[in-house]
Amino acid sequence: MSSLTLVKTNMPVDSSIKKLLIVDDSKVSRMLIRTHILARHPEWVIFEAVCGEDAIELVDNERPDYCTMDINMPGISGTDAAERILSKYPSMKIVIFSANIQETHQNRARSLGSILVAKPVTEKSIALTLDYFTNSK
Amino acid sequence: MSTISAKRFDMEDIFNSLNLGVCVVDADSKVLLWNNWIAKHSDIKETDALNRQFEKVFSESVSPAFLTALKHTLTHRLPVVLSTALHRTPLPLYNASEANQQQTRMYQSITITPIQSQLNESCCLIQVTDSSTSIKREKMLRSHSEILKKEATTDSLTDICNRRFFDAHYEMAIAEAKRQKHPLSIFMVDIDFFKPYNDYYGHIAGDNAIKQVASALKSQLSRATDIVARYGGEEFVLVMPHLPQKIAEQFAEKLRSAVFNLAMPHINSSPFHRVTISVGLCTGIPENDDNLLNKADAALYQAKLKGRNRCICLPLCETEEYLEQ
Amino acid sequence: MSSLSELHLDALAEIFSIGAGRAALSLSEIVGDEVHISVPYVQVINSEDINATTLSLNSGRFGAVSQYFSGPFNAEAVLLFTEEQALKIVSDMMGSQMGIDELAEFEHEAMCELGNIILNACLSAMADILHFTLESSLPSYRVASADEILHRLKKNSNQPYVMVLHIDLTIEKRHTTGNLVFLLSSTSLTNLVIHINQFLGSIS
Repeated sequence: MSSLTLVKTNMPVDSSIKKLLIVDDSKVSRMLIRTHILARHPEWVIFEAVCGEDAIELVDNERPDYCTMDINMPGISGTDAAERILSKYPSMKIVIFSANIQETHQNRARSLGSILVAKPVTEKSIALTLDYFTNSK
Repeated sequence: MSTISAKRFDMEDIFNSLNLGVCVVDADSKVLLWNNWIAKHSDIKETDALNRQFEKVFSESVSPAFLTALKHTLTHRLPVVLSTALHRTPLPLYNASEANQQQTRMYQSITITPIQSQLNESCCLIQVTDSSTSIKREKMLRSHSEILKKEATTDSLTDICNRRFFDAHYEMAIAEAKRQKHPLSIFMVDIDFFKPYNDYYGHIAGDNAIKQVASALKSQLSRATDIVARYGGEEFVLVMPHLPQKIAEQFAEKLRSAVFNLAMPHINSSPFHRVTISVGLCTGIPENDDNLLNKADAALYQAKLKGRNRCICLPLCETEEYLEQ
Repeated sequence: MSSLSELHLDALAEIFSIGAGRAALSLSEIVGDEVHISVPYVQVINSEDINATTLSLNSGRFGAVSQYFSGPFNAEAVLLFTEEQALKIVSDMMGSQMGIDELAEFEHEAMCELGNIILNACLSAMADILHFTLESSLPSYRVASADEILHRLKKNSNQPYVMVLHIDLTIEKRHTTGNLVFLLSSTSLTNLVIHINQFLGSIS
């Protein structure tokens, strides 16, 4: 429950600095997302959580702007965690990252007020994610 | 094509004589090869198929699963199979039938394999076979061999292994345990007061009791290496490798309580008035002349003498370990 | 042996969970219902150390679908399911298309296809993420006892390593587990590790 990592850069704090929470039980997956995001937005502050429960706690403490959420994790599922977070903080933007893009999952994500982006994490899927974070209302 | 024409046959003649459908498509799924078989069963001539997109060649629809499979093969370069069972008739192909008869699509088995053209383009080879004939053939073969094979090793009443299977398995298990020097446990199990049960409740109830005991014993097994067999009448035997003595003894007790907990009434069995078993266990690493089975049987005899509904464990040989106990 | 770190195994688990997701999507298109496949964990072990427990092989007979593949590393991939469970899955997948009495005749082919979908999805995920191309044979299917399977895995001295993926498969309401086993030579394992290192190097 303790692997919450805080990555800070030397950039000065201004209003464009966003806080992103990456929730994934796979370290490699978190590394991938972080690397890709920081390549585009080196000033963002990134938090990581390894399960839904940690994510919910971290959201309360850190109030991130955005969140990427894996589905299959130990403990509660990513969709359940996203649902709880969004019901409390409806203005947060959450992208659900999953290798499983069957329609039922897509519909569930949409009904929560989130979107589903297909894994693997690539430049393309990160572009979709960022587009959702910054452009959707 | 130079390598082909250098041969003594024209490859195209061979394609056209094959008793299966052969078609090659390129990366844009344009048809490059269309053999006679597929022309005949689709009723589409080669000239009408070549250089057209595969799915547009047919007037009827091609199943989405086929198109997905084709796309996968083109992208990932891995071969794909489409079975009759899950798809039946992906392509609009027909068996020539009597005139005026309602045509039904042919059952098909399809494989799609990635191949490379001589221009280094990635292409796909599509092979289609008519599976209606193989279905019939398999049906016949299976109904004979499978049933016989199962009957030969299964006890028909209880559906657990039969004596014949046990005899063969026991020999192998002993040989393996000797070679690997690992312990083997043999459990002999007998239903207590079974003759009085039969006499009082009748043979049908007796058979049912045997069945229930068999399934209670079987349900205790979870490892691939373990077997339970009907040894004869109301007697069963279990063979389990790799159990430490203590675990084996606990397992024997588990067997006893599993049957006890079935709570099958048995008026002529004192003091519990229910169906119980006695268990004789012998466990150890077999060496040359040891006979685990005899020892387990002797243990079962002791369990009976000591009042039934109990487990007795005998060591394989009278070693110091035994004397210490 | 080229040892695999936690991070290597984590990368493999992520790769195969993506493969599992792809396989689930393909299968759901066939059954027209939700399919869930996950890979709870991946192990790489010496083939001598493999036993019924490592593969959680319960008693009974198993359906094994194999494909040989080659590329930067070569391996035989074998997908194992309990025969009984596999048959139930296949019969569920066929739905109302076919009566159960007809099922047996189609078992081999249908199992080949089920295995082919899962194997190809895992292989293609690996190829995509680690950036290489793989070639593969067509799948073959056979039924074997746990003993035969273990015997074969252990006796293969050319391929002293096995990578085992535990697979959970849920189709409609039926749940089952299986194993995907890759038989690897030392060279192949080394090459696999090299590719994972390159991949990890690109993101850290």
